[in-house]
Amino acid sequence: MNKVLLEIKNLHASVEGKEILKGVDLTIRRGEVHAVMGPNGAGKSTLGSVLAGRPTYEVTAGSILYDGRDLLSLSPEERSWAGLFLSFQYPVEIPGVSITNFMKAAVAARRKAQGLPELTPGGYLKLLKEKMALVKMKGEFARREVNVGFSGGEKKRNEVFQMAMLEPTLSILDETDSGLDVDALRIVAEGVQQLRTPENAAIVITHYQRLLDYIVPDVVHVLKEGRIVRTGGRELVDQIEREGYESIDG
Amino acid sequence: MDNRIYVIGRDCAPQHLRLDAGEKVSMTLVILPGTDAQLALEIDLAGPGASLDLAGLYLCPEAGQVDLRVLVRHAVGGCSSRQLFKGIVGGTARVCFDGLIYVAPDAQKTEAYQENHSLLLSDTARVESRPQLEIYADDVQCSHGATTGYLNPDELFYMRSRGIPEAQARHLQMQAFLAPVIRRLPDALAEEIHASLP
Repeated sequence: MNKVLLEIKNLHASVEGKEILKGVDLTIRRGEVHAVMGPNGAGKSTLGSVLAGRPTYEVTAGSILYDGRDLLSLSPEERSWAGLFLSFQYPVEIPGVSITNFMKAAVAARRKAQGLPELTPGGYLKLLKEKMALVKMKGEFARREVNVGFSGGEKKRNEVFQMAMLEPTLSILDETDSGLDVDALRIVAEGVQQLRTPENAAIVITHYQRLLDYIVPDVVHVLKEGRIVRTGGRELVDQIEREGYESIDG
Repeated sequence: MDNRIYVIGRDCAPQHLRLDAGEKVSMTLVILPGTDAQLALEIDLAGPGASLDLAGLYLCPEAGQVDLRVLVRHAVGGCSSRQLFKGIVGGTARVCFDGLIYVAPDAQKTEAYQENHSLLLSDTARVESRPQLEIYADDVQCSHGATTGYLNPDELFYMRSRGIPEAQARHLQMQAFLAPVIRRLPDALAEEIHASLP
């Protein structure tokens, strides 16, 4: 068995006083891909947001150990430096900030936190081009303002591009398949597949099975009303596809 | 077209300008942190074909009082004026912006636009923005707009989730907000402004 990367115990979380997560337990080892599926409103996105440290979410009980560290004591930027990455369900537009400058700041801050020397401008450009190619983005992409005027597919490709730039240890893909046509879905899924290594892990949050046709999960969890009610293998995805979430309870 | 730049408190900015036929003026006013300023500027577009491109930037991140009054008078037809004022207001600072576009009777084919946008950094900062139009001609294109808002917390979290430290993420947001005016300034002054952001 590989080393445990993430250990969530009895996690309770609220937003604006309303409890969304009601005792989540989840253990992920290096090299694994876990799918978290569930109906709308089950708390899937909340789980992703809590892991990334979104300030509007309050953890009221439970613990999260990430690579042996207390994740909840880290700021969002510290979590990123430690190798955690959230692909947003709704990527945010940042008018006036180009993708080049956005990623330059992100890469520089991360390298500094890791005690690595700054990249030369040439080295940065090389990295940028290499990762853009992974999600089939063209040259002008880097000069555009972050997500401004992007189509749904471009936004999600931009998320996977950022993921590639930051080479995370734990990636959380929150509904990365929503709003994608088949071609965009394939580009996104292939990008994610190429980033898989025996050392890193991923949580794929999704409502539908179709992304899981491309990114095959090792473990599947069903989240309902703030709790994981079932954990299984690939066969669980097929059961949900046939019978819906109604058929699955704790 | 030359862009005349005035840093208030350092340079002597004009209080009154008159643009004659065909004259084109581009001007940028800069109010740096720690400057209490009371500015009244009157600009007359007095000959056909005159054109004004005016921008301003005010930085009051901590305290102080800035009063800006701008009157742009279209006395004759066929002239254009564009104004863009942007600023950052925090702490206990007060900013008052009073902008009037006047279009005289018979000043047909006038084009006049004015925008004023402020970014508030605290609950105790105050901005009063009063854009006004006084138009006595009927064949004109005029508009004005004013907004006052806070830094977007979703943008902030997005940047932090990519590893950009909070203070730097706030700087990026502020720089992006000010960019349409900063773009008009020489690099040294732009650098000075960036370094002065809280």
